[in-house]
Amino acid sequence: MTMVAATPRLAARRRLWFAPVLLGVAILVGTAIGETRLPLMTVLQTLANKLWGAGYPVDRIDAGIIWSYRLPRAIVAACCGAGLALTGVVLQALLRNPLADPYLMGLSAGASTGAVLVTIAGVGGGAVSMSFGALGGALLAFACVILLAHAVSGGAGGGRANQAAAAIILAGIAGSQLFNALTAFTIARSANAEQARGIMFWLMGNLSGIRWEDVGACIFVSIGGVALCLWHRRGLDAFTFGADGAAALGINVQALRGSLITATAIMVGVLVSKVGAIGFVGLVVPHAMRFLVGTRHDRLVPASALAGAVFLVAADVISRIIVPGQVLPIGVVTALVGAPAFALILVRGARR
Amino acid sequence: MRIEVHALSAKVHRVPLLQGISLHIERGELFGLVGPNGSGKSTLMRCLAGLRRPSAGRVLAEGTEVRKMPARDRARRIAFVEQQADTTDRLTVREAVELGRTPYLSPLRGWSEEDAAAVEAALSAVEMTAFAERLWHTLSGGERQRVHIARALAQDPELLMLDEPSNHLDIRHQLSLMALIRDLPITRVVALHDLNQAAACDRIGVMQGGRLVVVGTPADILDEALLAEVFGVAATRSVSEGGATHLHFSHAL
Ligand SMILES: Nc1ncnc2c1ncn2[C@@H]1O[C@H](COP(=O)(O)OP(=O)(O)O)[C@@H](O)[C@H]1O
Ligand SMILES: [Mg+2]
Repeated sequence: MTMVAATPRLAARRRLWFAPVLLGVAILVGTAIGETRLPLMTVLQTLANKLWGAGYPVDRIDAGIIWSYRLPRAIVAACCGAGLALTGVVLQALLRNPLADPYLMGLSAGASTGAVLVTIAGVGGGAVSMSFGALGGALLAFACVILLAHAVSGGAGGGRANQAAAAIILAGIAGSQLFNALTAFTIARSANAEQARGIMFWLMGNLSGIRWEDVGACIFVSIGGVALCLWHRRGLDAFTFGADGAAALGINVQALRGSLITATAIMVGVLVSKVGAIGFVGLVVPHAMRFLVGTRHDRLVPASALAGAVFLVAADVISRIIVPGQVLPIGVVTALVGAPAFALILVRGARR
Repeated sequence: MRIEVHALSAKVHRVPLLQGISLHIERGELFGLVGPNGSGKSTLMRCLAGLRRPSAGRVLAEGTEVRKMPARDRARRIAFVEQQADTTDRLTVREAVELGRTPYLSPLRGWSEEDAAAVEAALSAVEMTAFAERLWHTLSGGERQRVHIARALAQDPELLMLDEPSNHLDIRHQLSLMALIRDLPITRVVALHDLNQAAACDRIGVMQGGRLVVVGTPADILDEALLAEVFGVAATRSVSEGGATHLHFSHAL
C-alpha cells in the first residue's frame, strides 16, 4: 500500500531533473530567434567564449546581440514567467478563488501607477528609481485591495471566509480601475506625446530595454519565490478546504497569508518595474499545471514556475517575429492566449 | 483529553452567540451536543477547537488554554470536522486524507511510513479504501463526509470533534459511523441532529439560544418535557430491554 502512495511522488521527483534542461533549451532558443535569426551553434559558441574564453571565431556583432541583448532578455523573460505563475499559484491557494491573479487583483496596475508617477510626474525628485516606484505602487495597491476587501466582508472569519475571498476579487477589480485611471491621468497631464507612447508600450509589457543589470533582481525574486513557496508547500496544501480547514490542521493562517501575500506583492512589484504589466500568466499557467501534475504544491510550485518561464520566453519570441519588422508588446501575446483561457475557466467553474 | 469550559461567551458584532457556557468533558467520553438549528452548537465547537476567539471565558484542554497552544501542537491533539467544508480543487480522496498528516510534517521532514499507515488506517475505518484514487468532485455528499472524517482520524487526535457528521449519510452509513465513533478510545464531541443517535452518547448537552440548558446522561434528561420545551415536538419515550432510550416523535407543537 505504501508503494502505491510513494510511486507517483518518486516519479515526479525524477522528472524534476528535466526542468533545468528544458529551461536552458528554452532560453537558448529564445536567444537564437529574433528579428535576425542566429544559428544555435553561434549562440553556443558565443556563450562558451564569454563564460570560459573558449575562443571560437564568432562575428563581433552577432556576439554583441547575443550576449548583451538577447540572453539577458531571455533570462528576464524566464524569471518573470516563473514569478508571475507562482504569484497565481499562491493567490489562488490562499484566497480559495480560481480567478485570483496579480493582474486581476490590481497589483500590476498599482505597480504601473508607481512607475509612471516616478518617471513622468517626477515624484521623488529623481532620488527614487522607477523600480522603487513600481514596488511602492504594487504594495500600496495591495494594501488598498486588502483593506477594501476587509471593509466589505467585515473581516474574514467563521464560515464567511469564502465570502471574504470573493470580496478580495471585487476589491481587486475596483483597485485596478482606480490605479489604471491614475496612470492614465498622470500620463495625460504630464507626459509629452513621445513619452506617452513609450509608457503605453511599457505598460503592455516590454522586454526590449532589458540589460544585464536588470537580471540580478529578477533572478533573486523568482528563485526566492520558488524557495519560499516550496518551504510553505504543506501550508498551501492545507488551504484546500478553506482558511478554517487550514487553521484546524495547525497552520497559522494569518501569518502564512500575511507573509506569502507580501512576498507576492514584492515579487510582482520588482518584475513589473522591469518589464511592465504582463497579464494572464498567473491565471493560465497554474490552471494548466493543475491538470498535468495535480493540486499538490510540492509538484505544482516547481511545475508552474518552469511552465511560466518557458511560456513567457516563448511569448517573447512570438512577440518579436509575429509581425515582421515590428515588436509587439508581450502583454498582447499573453492576453491573446490568456483571455480565451480565462473564459474557459469561467465556463468550467460555472458548470461545477 | 479532558476539556473544561469556564463561563464561555462569544459574540459577533455585539450579538451574543454563546452566553455563559460552563462544561466539563471527561477523558475518553463520548459527548453529544444537541439543540435546534441556530442554537450555537457549531459556534461552541469552533471555540472548543480553538478556531474562534471567545469574547469571555476560557476553554482548557488538559489544563492548557486551547487558544494559547501552538497551532501545530493543537492540530496533533484536536481534530475537527466542520459542518460544511468543500473545495473546487481536483484532488483525490487519498490526497484529502493525507492533509490530516499536515501537523506531523515540516518543510524538512518528509512523508514517512508512519504517515502512510495512518492514512490507510483512516481510509479503511470509514470504508473508503476502494475510493482512494477517486477525485473529490465525483463523490456524493455522504462520501465526502466520510473522507473528512478519515482526514480527522489521520490526524491521530486525542479529541475528535464532529459537527453533524451523519447529515448526508444513508441509514447504513449513519449506523456504521456511530458504531465507529462509539468504539474510538479517545474523547469525542459530536453535534447531532438525530436525538435517537444522541441517546447513544455517554452524556449529552442540550443547547438553546446560545445557552447550555442541561447536561446529563440521555436516560436522565431526554424526556417528554425537554423535547417539548427545547425542540417543540410532542414525543413519547420508551426504554428497550437493553436499557437503550428510544424516542418516538408524533407532531410539532
Ligand atoms: N459570523 C456570524 N455572524 C452572524 N451570526 C452568526 C455568525 N455565526 C453564527 N451566527 C448565528 O449564530 C447562531 C448559532 O449558529 P450555529 O452555532 O451555527 O448554530 P447550530 O450549529 O446550532 O445550528 C445562528 O443563529 C447563526 O445564524
Ligand atoms: Mg451547526
